[in-house]
Amino acid sequence: MPNRTFVLATSWLVIVVLAISACAPPLTPVPAQPPAAEQPAPAPAAQPVTITWAFWGSPEEAASHKLVADAFMALHPEIKIETWNQPWSEYFTKIQALWASGDSKTIPDVAFLWPTPKYAAEGVLENLDPYIQKSGYNLNDYWPGLLESAMYQGSVYGLPRDIEVNVLYYNKDLFDAAGVEYPNPNWTWDDLLAAAEKLTVKDASGNVTRYALAAEGGKYAKWVNQNGGAILDDYRNPSKCMLAEPASIQAIQFFADMMAKGYAMRDADLAQAGGDAAVFQSGQAAMILQNTSRVSAFNAAGMNYDVSVVPIPKGGKRWNPAGGAAWVMSSGSDNKEAAWTFLQWLQSADGGQKIYTQRGEIFPALQSVANSPVFKTDQPPANKQAIIDEAAASGVGAFGYFPEWDELDSSIIGPALQRIWAGEAQAADILPQVCEQVNQFLKDHGYPK
Amino acid sequence: MHPRDTLQAPSPIRERRSLFRWQPDQQWEAYLFLLPSFLGLLVFVVLAVVLSLGISFQDWGLAGPKGWVGLANYRAVWRDPVFWQTFRNTAFYIVTIVPAQLALGLAMAVALNQAGRGTVVYRLIYFMPVVTTIVAGAIVFRLLFSTNGPVNSLIADVAALFGATVKLPNWLGSSTYSKWAVVMLTLWKNTGFTMVVYLAALQAVPQELYDAASSDGANAWQRFRHVTVPMISATTFFLFVLQTIGAFQLFTEPFVLTNGGPANSSMSVVQYIYQNAFRFTRMDKASAIAWFLFLFIFAFTLVQNRLQRRWVYYETE
Repeated sequence: MPNRTFVLATSWLVIVVLAISACAPPLTPVPAQPPAAEQPAPAPAAQPVTITWAFWGSPEEAASHKLVADAFMALHPEIKIETWNQPWSEYFTKIQALWASGDSKTIPDVAFLWPTPKYAAEGVLENLDPYIQKSGYNLNDYWPGLLESAMYQGSVYGLPRDIEVNVLYYNKDLFDAAGVEYPNPNWTWDDLLAAAEKLTVKDASGNVTRYALAAEGGKYAKWVNQNGGAILDDYRNPSKCMLAEPASIQAIQFFADMMAKGYAMRDADLAQAGGDAAVFQSGQAAMILQNTSRVSAFNAAGMNYDVSVVPIPKGGKRWNPAGGAAWVMSSGSDNKEAAWTFLQWLQSADGGQKIYTQRGEIFPALQSVANSPVFKTDQPPANKQAIIDEAAASGVGAFGYFPEWDELDSSIIGPALQRIWAGEAQAADILPQVCEQVNQFLKDHGYPK
Repeated sequence: MHPRDTLQAPSPIRERRSLFRWQPDQQWEAYLFLLPSFLGLLVFVVLAVVLSLGISFQDWGLAGPKGWVGLANYRAVWRDPVFWQTFRNTAFYIVTIVPAQLALGLAMAVALNQAGRGTVVYRLIYFMPVVTTIVAGAIVFRLLFSTNGPVNSLIADVAALFGATVKLPNWLGSSTYSKWAVVMLTLWKNTGFTMVVYLAALQAVPQELYDAASSDGANAWQRFRHVTVPMISATTFFLFVLQTIGAFQLFTEPFVLTNGGPANSSMSVVQYIYQNAFRFTRMDKASAIAWFLFLFIFAFTLVQNRLQRRWVYYETE
C-alpha cells in the first residue's frame, strides 16, 4: 500500500514542521503588555520579584557587580537580582539576540549599555522620563553633558554609571631621570612638546626606544575640542562635518606630528605593543593619555606616578569628552517598577555609585560622590583634583548622539584618521575630502531631521 | 547476438529513478532517518537564506521589520564607498591567494611525490596548519609581523648582508601592507590542503604514460607539462572553484589578524556584512550585501564552469 505509507510519511513531516514553527519566535516583536493591569491577583508577598541584570566585564568586574547586587538585595528583600554576564566581545551580539527574540522572560530587565541612543532608536529601551518625574530623581548631580550621552529625542533612556575622564598620567621616575619638571596646570601644548623632546629616547639607528607619550588615536577629540575645533556642527541632529575647519585640522596635525617626530607612539604600534597600560608600566612611554580605569592596575604594580590635567593650546580651553556606559531598562521588561527601584539605587550616592567608586571601578557619574571622601582617598594618584577639574570641563563633542554615529565613525571618519596616524596622509590633504563623504552620509540618512 | 538485445540492455542511466517519485519497493522508514539532518538544514540554512532575502527588501534594524523599502538597501550598498573598498580588497585576495595557493600546493605535492623517504613526515608538517585553530595561527602571525618582529628582523638582516638599508614595512599598521599579511596567513593556513589533494591526484596518474613519454624522448619538464598537468587538470579545476569561493568568503583571517584595518584596508566583504549586522545593527543592509555577494559568486562560478571545457581534461570522456 504505497499510498498509505506515503500519507503517513507526509503527515509525520507536517507534524514536525508545525511543531517547529510553533517554537519559532514571532517575527514581529509583541508590543509590551500594560503592566499588571489585566493580570490576576499579584503573587504572594513572600515570593520576591526577580529581575535580570545584564553587564559585561572581567571576573574582577563581575565580583564588584555581585557585591552591588548583594547590597541591594539586603536592602530590598522583595526584589531578587539575577545576573547575566558576558565578555565585552560577545555581550552586544548576545543581548541584541535577546531583545530581538521579543520574549519578556529572557530579556534582561536592567542592562549595561553603550551607546544608548542607537538602542533607544530601535525601541528596545524604556523611556525613563516618567519614572524620574514620579520619583523625583535628581538629575542635576551628573557631570555637565554626561546625561546627553544617554538621551534620545530629548528623553532620558539611561543613567550613565561613570564618566570617562582623560588625564595625563606621568611616570615620575622617568621625568626625574630626564630632568624634566612634572606637568602642571599651566602647561600648554608647547610645554608638552618641549618635555616630550627631552623624554624621547632613540637608539643609534634612530629607532625610538622610549616614547614620551602613548595615546590611542581615538583620543583625538580632546585635542580638537581644546583647540576650538569640532567633529560635527551638531551632535544630535548634525547637518555638517567640521573636521576640515582650520582649528580641527591644526589639532589633528598636532597629534600626528607628535607621532611623526617619534614623541608619541603611532596608534597601530600602540595596539600591537599591548595598549597604553602595558607600555606605561614597562617604561616604554613616560606619559599616557587615558581615563581613570588604569588607576587600579598601576597602584597594584606599585608604580611611582601621578596624574595631571591635559595641557591645552595657547588660547584654548580645557575639555573632556562627556560619555560613559549607562544602565538602561528594557522596554520588554516584565518588572518595570522593580527595575526602576534598582536603577535608582544603583545611581544613588549611597548605593551603587559608592560601592563602585570604593572598589576603584569607576570615576563616579555623580559629582557629589567624586567630591566626597569615597573618591578622595589617600591612594595614588595624589592629584585627585586634576581628575575633578577635567571632569568639570566635560562636554558634548567626542561622538554623535544619533543612531548612525557608530557606522559613520567606523566606516568614514575612523579609517581616515587611521591613515593620518600611520603617517600616510596629512590632515589638511584628506580631511576636506572626508568631510564631503561625511556630509553625503548625513544627507543619505536624512540629516538634519 | 541479435542487435535488438543490445538495444534493450538496460542502460544504467535509464534505470536510475527520479528522486521524488515514490517507489513501492522503497522503505519509507529511510526518510525518517533522514529527517533530523534534513530539518537542521531546513531551519538553519534554507530558512535563514529565504529570510535574509526577505530582510534585504525591508527596513530591518535590531528590533525587527519596520516596513518594505523595495530596493533601497541595494541602492545604499551600491552607493556605499566602504562596500566597494571591501569588494576591491576581496578581489585582491582572490587574485593573489588563489594562484599562489595552487602553485605552491602543486610544487609541494610534486616534491613530496618524488621524495621517497620522509614523505609522511613532510606531509604531516605541511598539513598541520590546516587543522590548527586559525585564531591561534593569527595571534602568532601578529607577533611575527609586528614592527619589531621576526619578519622585519629577517628583512633587515638580509638587506644588511647586501649592505643596503631598507625602510621596514609596518605590516599590520599600514594600509599598503596589511592585505599582504592577510594573504600570507591564508596561504600558510590553506596550502597544506591544496597539497594533499594534489598529491592524491599525482599518485593516480598512470606510470605507463610517463614511461611512454620517456621512450618518446620527453624530458622531465615536458613530462610534467604534457602528462602531469593535463592529467590533474580536473583536480586543478576543483581546487580553483573551491578556493575562489573560499577567498570570496574570507572572514576569520582579516578579522583576527587586523580586524579589517587600518582604514578598512584589509576588510573583506564578509567581514563588512558582519560589521553591518552586528555592530551597526543593520540586518537589512547586511542581507543585501550578502545577496549581492551571492549573485557575484554565482556568476563567477558559471563563467568558470563554461571556461573549464577549454582546459580541463576528463579521462572518461
